[in-house]
Amino acid sequence: MLSKLALSGIKSRLKDYLVLFSGLIVAAATFYMFMALATNQDFLGKNSMIGAANTSIVFIFGAILLAIITLVYLVYANSFLLNMRQRDYGMFMMLGAKTSKIAQLIFMETFVLGTVATLVGSLIGTGLAQIVAQLLVQQLGLKLQHFNAFYLPAFLITIAFFIVLFILAAIWNSRKLIKAPVLKLLHSADQPARMAVKTGRLAVQAILGVILLAVGYWAMAAIKQLQLLAIPVALVTIVLGSYFTFNATFIWIIQFLKKNKNFALKGLRNFTLSQLSFRIHDYTRMLAMISILFALALGAITVGLGFRNDMSAVTSASTPYDLKLYTTNQAIDQQVAKLNTTSKTAYSFKKVGKKYYYNIAEFEKTPMYYMHYSGSTGEITLPTLQRYQAKDYQNVKQDSPAFDSAYRELRVDDNYEDLPNYAFVDQTKFDQVTAPTKQVVLIRVKDFGKDRQRIGKIESLQAQALPAYKEILSNSKYASAMMATALYSGMIFMGFFLGISFLAMLASCLMFKILSGAYSDVRRYDMLNKMGTRSQVLRRSVAKEIGILYALPGALGVIHVLFGLQLFKILMVNPYHGIWLPFLIFIVLYGLYYWITVLLYRGIVIPKVEIDK
Amino acid sequence: MTENVVAVQHLVKTYGKGNEKKFTALKDVNFTVQNGEFVGIMGASGSGKTTLLNILSTLDKPTSGNVLINNQDITQLKNNQMADFRGREIGFIFQDFNLLENLTAAENIALPLSLQNVAPKEIQPKVAAIAKRLSIENVLDHYPTELSGGQKQRVAAARALVHQPAILFGDEPTGALDSNSARELLETMDSLNREDQVSILLVTHDPFSASYCQRILFIKDGEIGQELRRGDRNRADFYQEILDNLGTFAE
Ligand SMILES: Nc1ncnc2c1ncn2[C@@H]1O[C@H](COP(=O)(O)OP(=O)(O)OP(=O)(O)O)[C@@H](O)[C@H]1O
Ligand SMILES: [Mg+2]
Repeated sequence: MLSKLALSGIKSRLKDYLVLFSGLIVAAATFYMFMALATNQDFLGKNSMIGAANTSIVFIFGAILLAIITLVYLVYANSFLLNMRQRDYGMFMMLGAKTSKIAQLIFMETFVLGTVATLVGSLIGTGLAQIVAQLLVQQLGLKLQHFNAFYLPAFLITIAFFIVLFILAAIWNSRKLIKAPVLKLLHSADQPARMAVKTGRLAVQAILGVILLAVGYWAMAAIKQLQLLAIPVALVTIVLGSYFTFNATFIWIIQFLKKNKNFALKGLRNFTLSQLSFRIHDYTRMLAMISILFALALGAITVGLGFRNDMSAVTSASTPYDLKLYTTNQAIDQQVAKLNTTSKTAYSFKKVGKKYYYNIAEFEKTPMYYMHYSGSTGEITLPTLQRYQAKDYQNVKQDSPAFDSAYRELRVDDNYEDLPNYAFVDQTKFDQVTAPTKQVVLIRVKDFGKDRQRIGKIESLQAQALPAYKEILSNSKYASAMMATALYSGMIFMGFFLGISFLAMLASCLMFKILSGAYSDVRRYDMLNKMGTRSQVLRRSVAKEIGILYALPGALGVIHVLFGLQLFKILMVNPYHGIWLPFLIFIVLYGLYYWITVLLYRGIVIPKVEIDK
Repeated sequence: MTENVVAVQHLVKTYGKGNEKKFTALKDVNFTVQNGEFVGIMGASGSGKTTLLNILSTLDKPTSGNVLINNQDITQLKNNQMADFRGREIGFIFQDFNLLENLTAAENIALPLSLQNVAPKEIQPKVAAIAKRLSIENVLDHYPTELSGGQKQRVAAARALVHQPAILFGDEPTGALDSNSARELLETMDSLNREDQVSILLVTHDPFSASYCQRILFIKDGEIGQELRRGDRNRADFYQEILDNLGTFAE
């Protein structure tokens, strides 16, 4: 009988259960996807620039973080479940149901819900991992080795981890509901915490918070001096700094706005402010945590995409020329014609024995491009593209940089073990050398990325035509591009994956934290409705309240990332290059979560006006 | 001038739409409340009192019939107009319609004015005036949890009246109060009615509360069955008559 009642309770709240259930599925799927990476040593070893051992540390660190977030997340999801159910269970108790029976029911409900969600989540995680991997491979042109969407150890870890947590949650729920007095279950409206604001203390907190943040940001920028110490220092100071700044500024701003009657006494503003201040203590801790997670997630995506920029930067720095033609035939010509060429220069040479002869006049006419290294220390810097001038080829020694680089670019040989042996001669001398004149054509294209595949094809056509000279191709731009892709793919993939997993978790945490407060808000919104508040005004108030709760940690998180990218100066060319893209992706996803939260919240609290005429 | 503040004609309310099970809570209700009158509505549980009040206060729509409040036909209003109408013309005190516990008493009272976009500098004097009238001026900075049940209902009354609505509705406002607080609240309502000409419609099944009214309508099975007038009698006599009447009316 009781279980029938319990089931009917679930039916009447089907929508909320679906939200909870899908939230749990997202958590399990994310956790699984992350574990599928973190526990796959083969994958990590093959795809990382910093070695399997180091990558493992990054991932273990990430896994611990994710486990903590998941734990927090489950606590919030669980309190959402409790809030949703306590009235029902309170009622059963009023009707005289035995507490032991109720405890059993709650235990079963939590446990079954959790287990089913975990199983479904892991399966969905497998599918998602496959899709995400494929998408990344296609969209970013990545190469992944040893990546398995289904990875048994990850599967087992996920299931074990979640089931243990759900057993704990189930025990917690059943004890909590049984211990609470029935009346409290029936009228569990939150009590307001009167804000005892001590301005002095707030000021001290604010200053302390800012100082801590400054120290943290400095530590990240000073990674060269501090070495590995920078990371723990930054982590501790930024966590504490975020909390203090939030606590102080949040309370102060709300107080300030509430005191400003001209602002507060318009429409529902005072109510919205009170809603925020009502939950302030609850939220500041949470928001500080979210801001850190936000920074980690956004940082991971930014760094992932940053590696992608690096990949093309490193490639384009390898040589000024995109393609070197040392032989030709009809098929090759056809392909070359289709390239989006910006410059195409032919240089002639004659070869006598092992010695190459080049015509200086040709170089004076069209000087060559070269990569200029400014040679600074520490930070990774890229060489810049420069061009020699005609005078660089006049009256200089044979081993001058200009001749050296010309020889390096133009040499066409079947044996690169030999030492350089070349001579740059004037037109008359060149004509006197008795050997057939050969040509090398150097091509620069508009966008190497776009023509990459065609260039690869031309190179293999050349290799087919002249197999003996294959070695020329081994240090072409195309070859470096392939190497860079292999090198960076793993890092990009991991960055993306970490970022998206963290985002999914943190946003769901925030969502459930906010939604679990919704049930105690139903009465408030009902009152406002009775007092004659238009429903769009109520809806706007919800959007604003939740908007602030989303925006604050987001904004602080963005600041964290902007400073945190300093850390990656030692790994990347320019961590700030093109950061608008990851920021945009991230903000869109985060905004999506915000919107879903608003819709769900409205579904719970906005009274429906009954019109049945 | 005896104009009607409320006029109800042939009001019908049937619950259950489409092929759901139908239940007619109000069959054919007709009555008026005059400006400045204090009217009570009594009836057994389930007789349709709350249903009637919800319709009068535009929280629910009638199935058929006309309802004029302050000469405006509220059955013709759209959603936003309904909300605006509620905010402007109606004040509420309900048994469980307490205060927003995250706002202080003063902020609670100010809310209806803010919602009507009254200029902030005009709000405070109005709040102060109504608080003085209801003798709650020294608890204005308290949060609802820091108020007694009686104080809470007086704050609720202040909030219901601060924007000078056309009529004050009460649905068992004394239901959760001890007898002293209940008496205090009723006396306050009585004096508001006499001295400030506030029109009041009070739903109750407590004969003592009802004895403060000038006129009582008895509702039974969705219809107004009987009407009692106090006239010039004192309250004790009227109370006795209500008790006698309940005995016969219930049969
Ligand atoms: N939303 C609804 N759907 C269907 N029936 C309803 C609904 N609301 C009320 N009723 C029915 O209408 C009738 C009148 O209900 P109403 O709440 O008006 O009674 P009441 O006189 O206020 O009773 P009480 O003194 O117990 O508050 C009851 O029989 C009730 O079951
Ligand atoms: Mg009722």
